[in-house]
Amino acid sequence: MTNEFIKIKGSIRQRGFNLKKAAALSLICLMFFLSACKGGVSEFEETREITVISREDGSGTRGAFTELFGVYTNMEGHGKVDATTEEAIITNNTAVMLYCVSTNPYAIGYISLGSMSDVVKSANVDGVAASLENVKNGTYKASRPFYIVTTQSLSAPAKDFISFILSDGGQEVVESAGYVPALAGREYTPSVDSGKVVVGGSSSVTPVMEKLKEAYGAYNPGIDVEVQQSDSTTGVSSTLQGICDIGMSSRALTENEKHSGALAETIALDGIVIIVNSINPNDDFTSEQIKGIFLGETAYWDSLEK
Amino acid sequence: MKNPINQSTFKRRMREYQKRPASFVMFILVMLCACVTVLSFVFLVGYLLYKGIPNISWDLFALNYNSENVSLLPSLINTVTITFLALSVSGPTGIFAAIYLVEYAKKGNKLVKLMDLTSETLSGIPSIVYGLFGMLFFVVALDWGFSVLAGACTLAIMVLPLIMRTTQEALRSVPAEFREGAFGLGADKVRVIFKIVLPPAVPGILSGVILAVGRIVGETASLIYTAGTVAEIPESLFSSGRTLAVHMYALFNEGLYIEKAYATGVVLLVIVCAMNLLSNYVAKKLTR
Amino acid sequence: MKSKSIKEKVMHIVFLAAAMVCIMAVVLICVFLLANGVPAMGKIGVFNFLLGKTWRPGQDIYGILPMILGSIYVTAGAIIIGVPIGIMTAVFMARYCPKKIYAPLKGAIDLLAGIPSVVYGFFGLVIIVPFVRDTFGGSGNSILTACVLLGFMILPTIIGVCESSLRAVPEEYYQNALALGATHERSIFKVVLPTAKSGVLTGVVLGIGRAIGETMAVIMIAGNQARMPKGLLKGVRTLTANIVMEMGYAADLHREALIATGVVLFVFILLINLCLAAIKKGVEQ
Repeated sequence: MTNEFIKIKGSIRQRGFNLKKAAALSLICLMFFLSACKGGVSEFEETREITVISREDGSGTRGAFTELFGVYTNMEGHGKVDATTEEAIITNNTAVMLYCVSTNPYAIGYISLGSMSDVVKSANVDGVAASLENVKNGTYKASRPFYIVTTQSLSAPAKDFISFILSDGGQEVVESAGYVPALAGREYTPSVDSGKVVVGGSSSVTPVMEKLKEAYGAYNPGIDVEVQQSDSTTGVSSTLQGICDIGMSSRALTENEKHSGALAETIALDGIVIIVNSINPNDDFTSEQIKGIFLGETAYWDSLEK
Repeated sequence: MKNPINQSTFKRRMREYQKRPASFVMFILVMLCACVTVLSFVFLVGYLLYKGIPNISWDLFALNYNSENVSLLPSLINTVTITFLALSVSGPTGIFAAIYLVEYAKKGNKLVKLMDLTSETLSGIPSIVYGLFGMLFFVVALDWGFSVLAGACTLAIMVLPLIMRTTQEALRSVPAEFREGAFGLGADKVRVIFKIVLPPAVPGILSGVILAVGRIVGETASLIYTAGTVAEIPESLFSSGRTLAVHMYALFNEGLYIEKAYATGVVLLVIVCAMNLLSNYVAKKLTR
Repeated sequence: MKSKSIKEKVMHIVFLAAAMVCIMAVVLICVFLLANGVPAMGKIGVFNFLLGKTWRPGQDIYGILPMILGSIYVTAGAIIIGVPIGIMTAVFMARYCPKKIYAPLKGAIDLLAGIPSVVYGFFGLVIIVPFVRDTFGGSGNSILTACVLLGFMILPTIIGVCESSLRAVPEEYYQNALALGATHERSIFKVVLPTAKSGVLTGVVLGIGRAIGETMAVIMIAGNQARMPKGLLKGVRTLTANIVMEMGYAADLHREALIATGVVLFVFILLINLCLAAIKKGVEQ
């Protein structure tokens, strides 16, 4: 049955047309397509709907963001309840957030200052630019602490690791990683020289923690540190359950968690950057505007109260 | 023209199409769909290569993972370990189960029907459900924690039906005369199975095993909840370790090393490609 | 002689035990999922859980109807896009493809099946999402996008199964149709394809299974809003996305509700398999 096809192919080939050329041609077409896709950015239309992008519920970044900008309502019996608009696109992934904003001219989202990238534009909040200095001197409002979470029963190696994190050596690592150190003036002296520490939790804190772990290896090579990446809530709960020695959290502890015996210590400060597409002319928001957008009250770009 | 029914010239076909435009439409549709499939493949692979190849460097194959150099070697080693462990559990089990079904169970046996039903069910379960089960059973109930072993066992159950099915099919395609002849010569059943029936079925079984490897290598959803996400070479079977696909997912998640994630994707693609070629090669070599 | 019969018996038991492992696995999965998921359904109320329109774990409201509908819509869309293309490509591979192209094409389709879903997800995010946004409007992270991507993802499954069932149709059927004066296409679509019906259906059902169970790709492109689906160009959350998004930090009832979501997914797959069995029986009769 393929014979006919061979015939057809034969008749095509007589016209000086072969498979290799066809393949080359289709490749060229493809390149054209790809470049056409990329060059498709047009002008910004103010009348379009705002695409709100948020992180998933348990994320520390989301917790800190809603807290900072007041994106919540008070509900009887539940206290503060996250009221991010139901229309918001939800992602559990910083890369997806960056990609969505970088390709969608009408999108707005938020990420950690440490993950900021050139593909998107960072917006000012109340006229202050999101930068390390502004977080440090306190003028940039949207900043949050990174916590390590422990319980009363802390193992000796974990204690040693924590004393390193809070020492000058550890805080230097924090600063060079692009975050603001939380405290200064402590010395580190190794107290134990062997053991294992399991650290787990927030994916925002994980990159700093890995740097800390590497630096710590130079000071105290006998202790083995294992870093598990998940999210803030998991970090706290697995610390309480004893699966991890130290939990990482990018939001404050809840009352429940404090009751269960969790203790938090600040290790660094991080900014939350509001990001928009690079062709978006709106790049200076008041916190009220941001609140309105994420509550779903402001649905279109031209209905932003100026 | 030896066979005028089967071999028609291009012109003649075109004339036929004039009489039957519906056939011509179908012809165009078939060609169009084939083109769409091919184009989507070229697009996908081309995109991955375009993004990934410039980011591949020797540093990616360093022995240690750290935040300066997100090496994929530890994940590669984990992938190999988990694949090996999973196959060493599910390989023999799947093959033996298939042998039982084909060689021992009587036709119309209730057990055979039950097995067919269960293997169909198993092969249909989404990987995320396997992940939940693995977390509830291996990680929590057996208290193995997030570990390479828990991940491997979960995957072993996942690929079991695949191996069983392909082995069953391969065994069934061995002609009955082989067995009858061997029995006629006085061989006992176990001997017949291992010496006569299994050897010609090896290519089929092997292609099943390699398909299973492909599935294990590409798996993400179920491993996150069972093997965890630590990017280091595990010290023991009870420590956590991520495979390449999970490594890639984690890199995307942090958003800091997206270029490296594409490079990892290319390595993954090369592995899958190599597995496919290997299975074709082995099948050819053995059937000859 | 006696030692031989002992060996026989031992091996018989070994084979039987291996066969039992399979059944055991299904039983274990059922038991563990049900034991962890069903109590939550009881606490929430089966109807509230399955037919509730709001999912707000923060306030202990767990209704998964939006996710169930989301999964069904997305799967249906994927089938509408993937099945015709898949069957047509299978026809091409089995009946049109010149030998020279066949091997690379087959290899390419095998490779498509092996590409991890994370890669598909990113591909969708970078290519399909902007395309849908620019062409149809909306944010791009929508049911339509998910349908298109899933349609492509199920192609290898459908093509593989359909092609082998098309090849299993005896060559005489095709030749006889030709001899009666039918065109190439007519004999394929009126004679060969109907004969291979059962295999084609199996392929479609496997495709449905793959589409409904897909997680990592869908989560990147579907928008994941936990509310009732509002339209083709609006976002949607599927059952699988619901589990992956929230499993990480869920505790207590929330966690059990997510496992119960897994149970619902499991029941879906069981139903699909039962349908397949019924269809096959119907076709054979």
